[in-house]
Amino acid sequence: MAQIDGAGRSTREVNAAIRRLIAEGSTDITVLNPGARHNLAVAILDEVRIRLAGSAGYYCGGLGDGASIEVEGSAGWGLAESMLSGTIRVHGNAGSGAAAALRNGTVVVHGDAAARLGVSMKGGEVVVAGNCGYMAGFMAQKGTLIVCGDAGEAFADSMYTTVCYVGGNIASLGTDAVLSPMDPGESERLEATLNAHLPAALRCTKPAAADFKKVVAGRKLWNFDKREWRIWQEAL
Amino acid sequence: MCGIVGYFDKVGAANQPIGKILLGMLDALACRGPDSAGVALFGIPRPNQLVAQVKVGDNGGSTQRTLEVKTAAQRFGAQEFAQNGAYLRFTFREDDDLEPFISSIESIGADVEVVSVGRRLEIVKQVGSPSRLEQSFGISRFYGGHGIGHTRLSTESVVDLSHSQPFWGHGYPDLAIVHNGHITNYHQLRRRYQEHGVRFYTENDSEVIAIFVADKLRQGITLRAALESMITELDGSFSCLVATDSALAFVKDRFSFKPLLYTETAGFVAVATEEIAIRGAILGEYDVREAQAKEMQVWHR
Repeated sequence: MAQIDGAGRSTREVNAAIRRLIAEGSTDITVLNPGARHNLAVAILDEVRIRLAGSAGYYCGGLGDGASIEVEGSAGWGLAESMLSGTIRVHGNAGSGAAAALRNGTVVVHGDAAARLGVSMKGGEVVVAGNCGYMAGFMAQKGTLIVCGDAGEAFADSMYTTVCYVGGNIASLGTDAVLSPMDPGESERLEATLNAHLPAALRCTKPAAADFKKVVAGRKLWNFDKREWRIWQEAL
Repeated sequence: MCGIVGYFDKVGAANQPIGKILLGMLDALACRGPDSAGVALFGIPRPNQLVAQVKVGDNGGSTQRTLEVKTAAQRFGAQEFAQNGAYLRFTFREDDDLEPFISSIESIGADVEVVSVGRRLEIVKQVGSPSRLEQSFGISRFYGGHGIGHTRLSTESVVDLSHSQPFWGHGYPDLAIVHNGHITNYHQLRRRYQEHGVRFYTENDSEVIAIFVADKLRQGITLRAALESMITELDGSFSCLVATDSALAFVKDRFSFKPLLYTETAGFVAVATEEIAIRGAILGEYDVREAQAKEMQVWHR
């Protein structure tokens, strides 16, 4: 296992060291003292394992394609933004805009997520063990957004085909967001997903999959119709 | 952009190296705003005495000007004068009504401004990055219980000492605020206060927040209730820290436009625009989380 000590190094030096180790054949890299620096491990295109032994700042793991990143602290704004594939797991909390414009792959947050979780996500899976803030799932297009705790206001506003599951309370649904019953077999699949991504000790403190609320788009905003002008007035 | 920071010692011994901690936090955020930087520090109170920081003039003030301010201040029992650049610092007799003191000092010149008054509060701010704060004022030698700081990227109003943050709740002792964001109904609020005779010193939208909170506290409303009313009465984006002689508080707007992260341990509370500021200044293990939209927290000693 290769190690990089972030103490005293700039973000650019840390990221260059990660890339150098990958080029030299390392597949398991630990960054000590990440110090909540921004842009750590962005745009890593290899299937390597990167462990940040502490907190990350903004945009951690963004634009990645294949890496498996473990953040052993909290993460700032734009975690895994536009990630194409791979996994990012945050042991602490995530800042605003986590998994924004996610293309594919998996984002797991053991703590809470702040505002705008998974906005405009275009695929992939987002699993938050705690609560999420204001306007999660806004304009999300594809993929799955799972929040085991409570969801903030304007949840799942103006979505396309993203499917959301919430284990706790929803402060308010966004425009065109509707509760929907689960299909046969769906709660079993949700259970499997939760078990696959959350550590057993954390999973057992969360609701059973069958008790989650499912939220999807009501499809009222998918096509413009002048007769539905009032819906549009409210949405815009 | 702008960066804001706050630190609050929960034990309350008032002997923390508060200047050094805030400086460390601000340094990490210098790239968010190099235009100006400042801190509001809450030191050790002395019985029946207030401490004032007065700007004696835009260019540091002439010797004659400084003398005039000193003479005016002496009528209020001022002593222990110390001049540092544009600032004259002194202590004076505690009084419930600060108005005679303020008008007496500020009538000396249009560019004379009482920057802060309090039993504990001292505000120093200046043009330039946070590192210059240390060069000019040696704030790392300041000990106290809590404080807030700001590093500014100007978007609307000019860059000078008065437009820098923190802002004092002018006329209300021991009240200071720092703000990251943009208040869009600023002119409306400002006009409302001006109609009631409030003087504004700058074109900075953040100044109205300090006036807003001071106004609420004067009405006898609690700090928590004052922050709650900010969420409904202020329009626009704000992550805002408010400090009084015994409390540190923050409030975030209803859309969570601007970042604000905080940590609370048994011993202290630290708040900053980016986690890097907290990790850089305070070693040890603690959890950091981002505040949610409309979230507020008040820590009292």
